[in-house]
Amino acid sequence: MTENKLTERKQKIAVAKKQIKEKVAARKTHGNGNAVTPNKLKLLFTVVGRRKAEYFTDLLQSFEVNMQMVMLAHGTANEKMLNYLGLTDTDKVVIISVIQESKILDALRVLEEKFNTIKGGKGVACTVPLSSVIGTLIYGFLSNNKMVVKEK
Amino acid sequence: MGENKYEMILCIVNTGFSETVMDAAKEVGARGGTVIHARGTANKEAEQFFHISIQPDKEIVMILVPAEIKDKVLHALYSYAGLKTEGQGIAFSLPVDDVVGLTPATHVTTDTKEQKPNE
Repeated sequence: MTENKLTERKQKIAVAKKQIKEKVAARKTHGNGNAVTPNKLKLLFTVVGRRKAEYFTDLLQSFEVNMQMVMLAHGTANEKMLNYLGLTDTDKVVIISVIQESKILDALRVLEEKFNTIKGGKGVACTVPLSSVIGTLIYGFLSNNKMVVKEK
Repeated sequence: MGENKYEMILCIVNTGFSETVMDAAKEVGARGGTVIHARGTANKEAEQFFHISIQPDKEIVMILVPAEIKDKVLHALYSYAGLKTEGQGIAFSLPVDDVVGLTPATHVTTDTKEQKPNE
């Protein structure tokens, strides 16, 4: 009887160890093992002409971007060069979007296409890593993880 | 994670000194930038203690540069628009992972003999 109990215990321990190993492996495959989102966040800076600000903010929203900041700015191109090219408009906007790392490739591809094809839509975009965010709800909001909001 | 090819330099200066910043940056190879209007929030108590006044109207100059000229640009900004100058500038750089929209430059720079992208 005691031998049977021992073997049963050993089997239970083996099963538990296996489960722990599986959980650890699953965490590793999900990057940093964060419970809120496996995706890291980045800041996407987009500099475009002022007239196209709304168009590009709407476009970026389609990449699960929940928060964007639009700042009025102006370009520093040489006036002589602008006159030579027949351009007079230096008014620009800087759009800062908080975007998931997994969406960046698609977003940049679409942005590049739009920069090259839309008339007067020339711009520059780049991404800067975001190191930390405070608050799980805010993190969930920024990463568009609706599971963070618990149902009452 | 590989090394970044580009860096974003942000320089906060008093209003009216963005041209000084751009001139200094262009001198060492930067191509162009974007100026954002901003407002500084200095500590009033510290201002009174040190008997200095901080001009609240600021300009943030955002310059995207190749990583290899980042140090040169920062040094130029420090000398021409640093805290000891009238512009009272603070400059720092952020790592940039991906960039789109830059067109390649047509000229070859003297330092690296490589084609530099145009902003």
